[in-house]
Amino acid sequence: MRRLSTLGWQVAIGLTALAIWEWGWGLQTAVPWLVPDLLDPYFVSKPSMIFKHFLRMSCLVSSDDQWTWGVAGGFARCMARSENNLWIATYVTLKNTLWGFATGVSSGFALGLLLGRSDRLSEIFYPYITAFNSIPRIALAPIIILAFGIGDASKIVTAWLVVVFLVFFNTFEGARSVDRDHINAARLLGAGDWQVTRTVIVPSTMAWLFASLSPAISFSLIGVIVGEFIGAEHGIGRMIIEAGARGEAAGMMVAVFVLAIVGVILSSIVRRIQAYLLRWRPAQPSGN
Amino acid sequence: MATRCRIEIDALRKTFAAPAHQGGGEVVAVDDASFRINDGEFVALLGPSGCGKSTILNMVATLIASNGGTIRVDGEPVVHGRPIRHVGYVFQKDTLFPWRTVADNIGYSLELAGVPTDQRRARVERAIHQAGLDGFGRFYPSSLSGGMRQRVSLMRTLIAEPEILLMDEPFGALDTHTKLDMHSVLLDLWENTRQTVLFVTHDLGEALTLADRIILMSARPGRVKQDFRVNFPRPRNAVTLRETPEYAELFSKVWHSLGEEFVKGRSE
Repeated sequence: MRRLSTLGWQVAIGLTALAIWEWGWGLQTAVPWLVPDLLDPYFVSKPSMIFKHFLRMSCLVSSDDQWTWGVAGGFARCMARSENNLWIATYVTLKNTLWGFATGVSSGFALGLLLGRSDRLSEIFYPYITAFNSIPRIALAPIIILAFGIGDASKIVTAWLVVVFLVFFNTFEGARSVDRDHINAARLLGAGDWQVTRTVIVPSTMAWLFASLSPAISFSLIGVIVGEFIGAEHGIGRMIIEAGARGEAAGMMVAVFVLAIVGVILSSIVRRIQAYLLRWRPAQPSGN
Repeated sequence: MATRCRIEIDALRKTFAAPAHQGGGEVVAVDDASFRINDGEFVALLGPSGCGKSTILNMVATLIASNGGTIRVDGEPVVHGRPIRHVGYVFQKDTLFPWRTVADNIGYSLELAGVPTDQRRARVERAIHQAGLDGFGRFYPSSLSGGMRQRVSLMRTLIAEPEILLMDEPFGALDTHTKLDMHSVLLDLWENTRQTVLFVTHDLGEALTLADRIILMSARPGRVKQDFRVNFPRPRNAVTLRETPEYAELFSKVWHSLGEEFVKGRSE
């Protein structure tokens, strides 16, 4: 009952917002004091226009608004006409996000484990790490584009840069806080140094790593988009910049919506994987 | 009786640096402790808290270093940080690996030793049965009660078939009922295998129920105060044993001596 009413409220709020967005500007001449300038379709477009744009940009309809699946080869022809159509852009952004995530998580974990378990190394590298960490990583994006070009590599490096620190710090903390008693127990049960690392330190640090996966995937997506803003041939970020240059609010909004959907799907997949990998943990009081 | 001496402790001493807010300096935790444990003996090390009994156990287990005296296990002096293969240790604290299932926790030492999977599985299955944990093999420790977790801990150590067993107040955190339950489990297991056991506790009832001998420690600095024989016949019943007059008689005898140490410990 409670869930149903929650859903009811959520739908009602969503529909109201969409309705204001769609028809609000129409009231501008009648009650100007009620309608903020921000509702001007020139800036924020309208839901109906955004949907129409979505259909065109995704080649579901042709430029004369005919469904492409009704025409033989219509979809393929439309796809071929635009080099950065919605499908290619989404694919490229998604691919680079996943690569940035994978490389950032694996290298961040390895570094965190290494420094977290070695007092000597963490002592030596401490000033460099804190110095690097205080730089907003995104500020380095233009330099990366300059160095790695406007292809996929620069986006992956940008994403890697934001992910690696996040994962590194989590892993580092985790590696330092491995329960001494677990290590002692393993030793007394016959584990050598390497076996202690493999069967105690790595799995208990993993718990900290998994906790950082959700923010890591979001960070990776942010890194890729910023990289695409600065210089790219493909990708959703590129699409936003292009539509912006044409003063095409609807086009920008389509890209933003697709981005939102991509973000939600990615983080729900990661959260599911996380829940599976951490199934040994006591149930959390709140959860998704 | 020509029994072999398994653990030999001689003039053992351990000091800790006192925290600065207590004026620094040294705290003597264990001072000149000496005793021997023979093969197959179940010995309880009993004393008020802070008397250094766990410290002695941890030195035998090679977890901490001593500041003097010697510990020999089977004639060999022990070295800090080098655990001995056939010595098992059961912690007071829950040290099960939370990311491993009950079965994988119990089979851990066999896994380290490279015992083939099918053999390992059979031995783990048997251990699970012995501990009365049938059906819980695939559970994670977080979903078990305290008593069940301590059974898993016990089996994780026993599955490697250690000849010497060191136990640091293993049932200290359990409620009275669960504790009695664990005494029955341990008595059943031990009366069949008869390892040499050094069992640290501050619970006199527990010591009388389980042990052949009680070594009573004085309040800090810990010294061996008295050595009692516990000659109740075996197999013992953890519940009915406590109703016998022999139990009551020995209880009051040890209690008197232990009581003096409680008072001394408090007045410090």
